[in-house]
Amino acid sequence: MITVSNLTRSFGTFTAVDDLSFHLDKGEVAGFLGVNGAGKTTTMRMLTGFLPATRGSVQIAGFDVMRQSLEARKHIGYLPEGVPLYGEHRLREMLEFQARLHGLPRKTANQRIAEVLDRVELSDRAEHLIGKLSKGLRQRAGLAVALLPSPDVLILDEPTSGLDPIQRMSVRKLISELAVEHTVLVSSHILPEIEAVCRRVIILHKGRMAASGTPEELMREFKRESAVTLEAFMPDPTDAARLLATLPGVERVDQGERLGIHTAFKVHCDEDLREDVGALAAAKGWAIRELSFEKPSLERIFARIAFEVDSPEETAPADAPTTGAPMASTPILSELPIAGSAAPVELNVMTEPTAPTAPTEPTKIVYNLNPFDQGRDRDLGKPKSTGGDDA
Amino acid sequence: MRGVRIVFRREMAGLFLTPLGWVLFLLALVVNGLYFSTYVQVTGGDIGASLSLALGGGYPFWVIMVLFPPLLTMRMISEEARSGMLEFLLTAPIRDVSVIVGKALAATSFLALLMSTNLIYALICQGLGATLDWGHIATALFGTVLVSALFCSIGLVASTLTNTPLIAAFLGVFVNVVMLSMRYLEGVLKGFDPLVRESIMRKVDVLGHFQGSFVRGALDSADIVFFLGWSGVFLFLATRLLEARRWW
Repeated sequence: MITVSNLTRSFGTFTAVDDLSFHLDKGEVAGFLGVNGAGKTTTMRMLTGFLPATRGSVQIAGFDVMRQSLEARKHIGYLPEGVPLYGEHRLREMLEFQARLHGLPRKTANQRIAEVLDRVELSDRAEHLIGKLSKGLRQRAGLAVALLPSPDVLILDEPTSGLDPIQRMSVRKLISELAVEHTVLVSSHILPEIEAVCRRVIILHKGRMAASGTPEELMREFKRESAVTLEAFMPDPTDAARLLATLPGVERVDQGERLGIHTAFKVHCDEDLREDVGALAAAKGWAIRELSFEKPSLERIFARIAFEVDSPEETAPADAPTTGAPMASTPILSELPIAGSAAPVELNVMTEPTAPTAPTEPTKIVYNLNPFDQGRDRDLGKPKSTGGDDA
Repeated sequence: MRGVRIVFRREMAGLFLTPLGWVLFLLALVVNGLYFSTYVQVTGGDIGASLSLALGGGYPFWVIMVLFPPLLTMRMISEEARSGMLEFLLTAPIRDVSVIVGKALAATSFLALLMSTNLIYALICQGLGATLDWGHIATALFGTVLVSALFCSIGLVASTLTNTPLIAAFLGVFVNVVMLSMRYLEGVLKGFDPLVRESIMRKVDVLGHFQGSFVRGALDSADIVFFLGWSGVFLFLATRLLEARRWW
């Protein structure tokens, strides 16, 4: 349906889109991802024939958009950025105008108008002035206009910008429904949206195609990003890290910061190893506070491309829990020499720490980990007792 | 042709749906009415002469002709370019030239409608017993439409050049004034052979072509071609500029 080959567009010396090639089949929903200025809108404008390409060609439904422009345009429904509509007209009039532009017979047009209005849930607003519609409604009105001629190819430039979450959801649903009959190309910088709607993602960066494929493919390609996060209390965190690393499927274990009595681990693995990690924790008697699986979201892949970061380690610290607030607010803990994250010297501090007040006398700190004792009022950050051997 | 009709229809509706159209309508009615009554007094009650003054003979007519077309066309391209509407129109399955011609026709028709309010006075006077030369009136009105077409085309060219409607309007007024003052260009051409000078003047003198024929009630194909030709030139220019905009 859409064939783009070696598409290039320069504005003076600036190259907005650089040698872009891709192909979309009928019924495919593709998402254009990219930071502001990555070339999304320029590409879409070239696809619709509004902007001529400096080099390369675009074919829509078999027609070259520059050479057989009119035929190609008949197959395109385009929602430009900013949703241009004639504000002084009523919604129905605008739709009638679009129907006339596409040469729909009057009867078909009326039928289609009712259909698309129903589809975007604006049937009750048909007689409203477009200029008076709120942004979200206007957005949907624009969608209705683009949909009206029932085009083979729908090109939507940021169709969900300015919508509230519920409207966004309904637009998302609408786009997925449209995918059955149309080839849809959506651009957005909101990633979850693309992830939810598109079966194909094209990531643009500085006018070039940085990545392309299904979200799953992209994630597989960037699989180093997935990890199980474990936060637990255990006697020996370093040993625990070593144990975790021996689990089948684990690539690497990062021992994170210590939060109160808990230590955080990031277990890098391809698949969801939560059960294995949980079983290990149960066997070892670790008290788990958090066990979660982090999928390699498009967001992280995108961030890596956008910031041209190659190693996942560099992005990791931003996600690692660094909130030291509960620790600092607890005076007892702040006096304990456990502030460091993973220094081997402090390995045994947990089991046999030395109370700073009485350095000569080794004291065993016992934490209350029994959830039935004192219920939720118990303070996990504070030791239950600091004397004796009543473990 | 289909595209022209669709765009024309939309633009006409647009003109009548925005306050600007009605404000211009009001102004035209006031100016026309005021000057018509003045003309009647000046000509000593000669309705025919008054009408021919109102439709091209007098200066107020040219003031309207210079000012109104740019005001009508100033928004047609520049504002749509800014709002993105142009992107919509130029990706719709109609030709660029249809967009330009449709808009020009809409502006011209609107202006023709404004100027034909003079017919109201003619009808009233006839009802009161005056005998009128309707052929003469029709010719003058036809000429008015042709001048409107020319100035609206110029206004459209100005509108494609900028994204600010006001600048487009000023530019349009400026070019219109230049077009009308072509007669005074003769002084610039003094060094030329009088024959050459004459042939150049005949090709650019808007005022002369208009007042030499339509105001007198004569329908000369040369004058019709003159106005249509120049309108065509400017429409062509506007279309090309619209295309060129895509490269900016």
